Amino acid sequence: MRFNEKELVSLSRQPSEMAAELGMRGPKKGDVVKKRLVKLVVNFLFYFRTDEEEPIGALLLEQCRVEREDSQSFSITFLDEAERKYLFECDSEEQCGEWMDSIIKASYEFMRKNLIFYRTEIHRLTGKDPLEQYGISDETRFQVSNGLQLAPSATSSL
Amino acid sequence: MKLHEKILTHYLSCTSPVDKEGYLYKKKERNASYQRRWFVLKANLLFYQERPADRHLLGVIVLEGCAVRRSESDGQFALSLAFEGTGLKTYRFAAVDRQTQESWVKALLSASHCYLSLLVRDLERQYDEAKQQQSSAGSHHRSSVGALKQSPPTSVFLPAPGPAAAVRETRSFSASAVLQAPSTATRVAAKKSPKLWPRRNALVTPLNGPAPSYGEWPLVGFDPLEEFSKLHDYYGQEVRKAREDWLSGRRAREEGDLIDLGVSEAQTPADHLRFT
Repeated sequence: MRFNEKELVSLSRQPSEMAAELGMRGPKKGDVVKKRLVKLVVNFLFYFRTDEEEPIGALLLEQCRVEREDSQSFSITFLDEAERKYLFECDSEEQCGEWMDSIIKASYEFMRKNLIFYRTEIHRLTGKDPLEQYGISDETRFQVSNGLQLAPSATSSL
Repeated sequence: MKLHEKILTHYLSCTSPVDKEGYLYKKKERNASYQRRWFVLKANLLFYQERPADRHLLGVIVLEGCAVRRSESDGQFALSLAFEGTGLKTYRFAAVDRQTQESWVKALLSASHCYLSLLVRDLERQYDEAKQQQSSAGSHHRSSVGALKQSPPTSVFLPAPGPAAAVRETRSFSASAVLQAPSTATRVAAKKSPKLWPRRNALVTPLNGPAPSYGEWPLVGFDPLEEFSKLHDYYGQEVRKAREDWLSGRRAREEGDLIDLGVSEAQTPADHLRFT
């Protein structure tokens, strides 16, 4: 599958508050913990070899499960498959907590739920739809029903 | 760089709805011909394949750091995604009619993670304001105002409910979980804006319990109302400016020139609210 690699690499170079050297272990049997510069940018987790400019890889942080493994480490599981479980070792319990929190909150779907919640609540409290002023009240992505678990349907474009 | 594709395709096919899909003509870089492709927009990802029923995805475009533009080149209903930075691409598309063109431009403009992040922050602020306005005179933040408001007791004295940060359950979500206000108070970490202090008064603070830690009380000699209104003004200015930019961008768009929702190079507290 093609993807806009240069643009994604450029994205990985954007400043980020969550960037640190962590121990990282891949999901495959025999994978060992390696020191990586891990960086959270939007809903992607990039990981670099220390002092390299281009990331080794990018993990999309959607539909994943973040779990604490022990006091200083956490894991991210994708596709609910053990074969896609990445382990991250931090320097402290606090750092571990911060990373877990940040990763969860970086998810686009998490943010969308928040948005829908605030939109609904603001409308309930004030009678106004806060998205109207931005001209985006009709956008599918911000609809209240978007937070519901719907059967996948072929929504056609206008 | 390795992009873990299975994670993306899994996300695409999971139960959360897509944000938009339909046919567009994608311009080939080399020979400037157009190929019809079926595009699926979900979050900040634009996938494309030959036909809707295809299992095989041809590609994906991550929509961060690009300007969405509408153009009228060659009499076509064209649009483009221009990535900012040396050596970065511009993707060009054409739609079959004006309506399709407009609809895609609009959907793509609000697709980025950055955009959503700003929007959520703004709504969070509006929500907090709305809750404060609803609160009765009992709240100590209002006590020095003087005007006592008669309002029925609400759940105001509890920590402001927010969407639960489901640590383990990030996959499935039920309707009730989204629309209810859960009791755990977890807020989206406002990295740039200072956090509002939790409200405390006799109704909530246990009299015989330990005193809340130092950081949880407003500072001594500090007028919370004055500070809050300063905070409100300061961030309000930024939001007002962002709104003005947005509005002038909309006006400009009517003249064919779109505003830019790219990721800014410098991420200072003020910068993150600028759209250009």
